Amino acid sequence: MADEPREPLDDMDEAERFDHYLDALISGERPSPDDVANGEEAGMARTAAELAAAASVAHAGPQGADPDPAFVEQLRLRMRQADQAIASVQVALPVRSQPAGSNAGAPIDLTRIRVSRRSLLQAGAGAAVGLAAGALGLAALRPAPIERPLGGDVPLVKGEGFWQSVASVAAVPPGSAVRFTTASFAGYVVNDGGQIRALSSVCTHMGCTLYFRPDWKDLRCPCHGASFDLKGQLANGRDTWKQTGGYLGDATAYPVSLPALVRPRVKIDNGEIYVWTAQI
Amino acid sequence: MATRSDPPSTPDPAVPSSRGRFEEIYDAQVVPIYRFIYARVGNAPDAEDLTAQVFMRAVEQLDTSRDMGQIVSWLYRVSQNAIADYWRAFYRLPVIGADQMGAGWEPADTAATTPDAEEPSTVGGGERARKQVESLLRRLPANYRRVLELRFIQRLTVAETADEMGITRGNAKVLQYRALRKAALVGEAADG
Repeated sequence: MADEPREPLDDMDEAERFDHYLDALISGERPSPDDVANGEEAGMARTAAELAAAASVAHAGPQGADPDPAFVEQLRLRMRQADQAIASVQVALPVRSQPAGSNAGAPIDLTRIRVSRRSLLQAGAGAAVGLAAGALGLAALRPAPIERPLGGDVPLVKGEGFWQSVASVAAVPPGSAVRFTTASFAGYVVNDGGQIRALSSVCTHMGCTLYFRPDWKDLRCPCHGASFDLKGQLANGRDTWKQTGGYLGDATAYPVSLPALVRPRVKIDNGEIYVWTAQI
Repeated sequence: MATRSDPPSTPDPAVPSSRGRFEEIYDAQVVPIYRFIYARVGNAPDAEDLTAQVFMRAVEQLDTSRDMGQIVSWLYRVSQNAIADYWRAFYRLPVIGADQMGAGWEPADTAATTPDAEEPSTVGGGERARKQVESLLRRLPANYRRVLELRFIQRLTVAETADEMGITRGNAKVLQYRALRKAALVGEAADG
């Protein structure tokens, strides 16, 4: 049973590959599923992971399995930001469609807000939303279906206009963006992996002015934290969050869906980028 | 483009937030949850990712008006799901999306959501795991136990392990491979 390996070692190749998994694990790095070939090895990897965890406790005492304090603080900040972003967006939404002062002085019940938010986020808006929305006069809470995309083929400028030069192609390498202003609107020309595009810098939530973040290649809203990718789509929406476990540029899932950014018409002529803008 | 005058996420003072309650939960639970996860994935980077997933999900979905006992069970159930998803990637099984996982409040009546038989919150994950591992090692043949002790407990490299045992490196790799295969079987038998 306790067979000493002897020649020929027919499981040499497997053992060699699997050692990559073990090496990463034992040195405290992130092991890769690619070094695990099948279900049996997955069971072995799992056993090895439990061994490694136990060994680090054996080494360092109970603290061997404790989180890095820096991680704990960092996650605390992420949670705070996410909590605030969700709360501010949720409260900001209904304000638009509500007569000013209609809710003035009404005490707001924390618990109820919390419940309504949770229900709001779970798109199957049920009784709780109705209850909470009714209580707060927030009939507009239910996200309205988007009737037509704001971005894309709808011409931003109707009637008379002209092509205004906004940047040279050379000034917009892939992954970058250059801000422009015309008499009628402002935005960014962006290079999305070779594709030049113009994007309005007006956030489709409440109209704040977006700013470009080179590190994350997104247009970010300073007001409520929406991030739009270089195609103009909301990048940190809840669906993205669910599918990928988060948007890298952000700790926060944006809790409602937003229309895409307006995309002004753009053309390239002789190395120059032009957007179609209105005469005034 | 630093045109903003205020930090982006400064909350309106009039905007209610249950942050105080959240942080109370976080402070009480982040270490036990991390230990629980770490004991099952065995490395810090993955344990941090999964812990973050659990608490970020809590920000979105946790109903803080529930009592602490329910909240703690919710956190462990969500952790259990996150760990199961993590291992699905190793078993090459399709990952169950957060959508299909349910909100975590349902009673734990399916295999996928049943937490360990022990009440995880009351047991130091490390201590329990250590005992489990010791009893596992005890049930292995001597040379299997030896190679795993050298590699995992003493954290020797394959080369050092081979020298220590007087075998070739190739043999040491094969030996640890077979030892883990055996250990996985023994552990499975013990679990079942």
